[in-house]
Amino acid sequence: MDAMYYGDVLLVDLSTGKTEQVPFDEADEAGPGLAAGLALYEKYSGDDPLVFGSGLFTGTPVPGACLGFVLGKSPLTGEAAVSPLSMYAGAEMKLSGFSAVVVRGSSAKPVYLWLHDGVADVLDASGLKGMDTWQTTDAIRKEMGESLIQVISIGPAGEATRDLAAYSINYWGSGDSSALGSVMGAKNLKAVALRGLGMLDAEEPGEFYEKALELMSAAPAERGFKAVCSGLGGDDVDAWLEPLVHRYRSCFACPTACSTFVKYNEAPDVMSPDGVEEPGMLVISAAAAFWLWQGGWGAEAAGRAMESMAREGIDLVRGARELSASPLSDPGEIASAVGGLEGTMEAGWPAGEQVSYDAFGPWVPPLAASEKWLAANRAGYVLGVCPALLLAGGVDVDSLLGLCGPAAGVELDASGIESLFT
Amino acid sequence: MRVKVKPLECTGCALCELACGYHWDEAFSLISSSIMLYRAEEKKDYMGVIVKTEEDLFLGKPEGPEAVKLGELQQRGAGSGGGASAKPILIREACDLCESAGLEPQCVAICPQNALYLE
Ligand code: SF4
Ligand code: SF4
Ligand code: SF4
Repeated sequence: MDAMYYGDVLLVDLSTGKTEQVPFDEADEAGPGLAAGLALYEKYSGDDPLVFGSGLFTGTPVPGACLGFVLGKSPLTGEAAVSPLSMYAGAEMKLSGFSAVVVRGSSAKPVYLWLHDGVADVLDASGLKGMDTWQTTDAIRKEMGESLIQVISIGPAGEATRDLAAYSINYWGSGDSSALGSVMGAKNLKAVALRGLGMLDAEEPGEFYEKALELMSAAPAERGFKAVCSGLGGDDVDAWLEPLVHRYRSCFACPTACSTFVKYNEAPDVMSPDGVEEPGMLVISAAAAFWLWQGGWGAEAAGRAMESMAREGIDLVRGARELSASPLSDPGEIASAVGGLEGTMEAGWPAGEQVSYDAFGPWVPPLAASEKWLAANRAGYVLGVCPALLLAGGVDVDSLLGLCGPAAGVELDASGIESLFT
Repeated sequence: MRVKVKPLECTGCALCELACGYHWDEAFSLISSSIMLYRAEEKKDYMGVIVKTEEDLFLGKPEGPEAVKLGELQQRGAGSGGGASAKPILIREACDLCESAGLEPQCVAICPQNALYLE
């Protein structure tokens, strides 16, 4: 697979452990990215599918083109829901040779899926059972002898199919607020491991690359959460985390670096790798940080709480929302509070607050869903571009749509994206 | 003239790898660039940028950049910013400042954080 657009789809049958690549003839009609994902979800709806996919530009030098997705039936709503594959996971999935994977059925014993070089293997994960996401990531990387493998895994919360379970990308948690980590647990799918050593072609490479470079030059290169959620507490969260900041990190191909690595087990300004093995946490969730900041948590304690939730495989946002009511500072108490999280839809959302779930997750004021937010998510998941960057104005959808032709010979406009969802 | 790195400005977006790979292959990948992110020690957030030239490797390590003659890197441990994860770059093309494609240095042009420069 070397095109940016879907050709074949990988079907994984967990009940037999077999994989096969099949043509996806409906791709052109369905549309790219999440639109294709939804068509696959419908097509295999009888097999309780969990669809791993990527967008049209995922893995290319388009601003914010890191985004892949996981799509499945959320246990929270009983409806199809989508969660992001950010950082390197979405791009490496596409570069592994698979732009869409449909995982059907469930396995009798724990397994993990290993995607690399256009090859897919279902491997025994009995030895990983009970491990947290940090241990799982370390164990898979060690077993494969490759430290750059991306590991989408579940921890104890996912294995127990709890409502607050989320998959984690490597060590850092994820934006899975729809309990798709719990769906992985129900399937006995402990992890999906990826390594992207493939190559992506464009229909008109010169034109595509030049236009992507133009967009990149125009995109602001900002750091910290203020870049993507100024007005929703981003500025305050940045100032609060600042004394612990080691470095800011970008997802793949993103000109902005909103993720923030905080160190609390050694001095933040230690740059050499000779220090402690686990010095801190990459804070990837502006919303989780926001809730803990608003609840009066100290930044160090918040870092520890987010680490603990990521290890357990707990949704950072719902977990932080529930924890925010009772600030803690003792590491042992934080770990036990994380262990005691309920994470139900009701827990942690104060009475009277309007909780709304849609296909992109749960939202409460002041992080309320809006038409603009929905449009950014739809466009982002179709094109493979981070919705937070779109919302922040780092790149605009109309400019991106101009790249669809040179990328893949696809013509799309904004109303076309909306129509893919009707 | 060579590409140099301000490692602490780098945020790990990998765009330099994509741009360099494009100038070699007219396609997008992480396997053919003459410039490579060193990101193997993820839990420590230890990250740098390596550039291969005909003579040496420029190691843009966060604790301080240095140039190392080709061949020396393999003898080093991972902790010095080289090691096993840097090996792939040894078998790749050396930086030609994008002259073969008739382009200006693409990694420098695309880096959103201005972490790369020519000197
Ligand atoms: S805006 Fe933040 S979350 Fe989105 S791609 Fe960029 S670094 Fe990642
Ligand atoms: S100047 Fe060109 S060849 Fe050299 S590292 Fe940068 S992109 Fe690659
Ligand atoms: S393009 Fe710049 S910021 Fe991005 S990885 Fe390369 S050197 Fe770092």
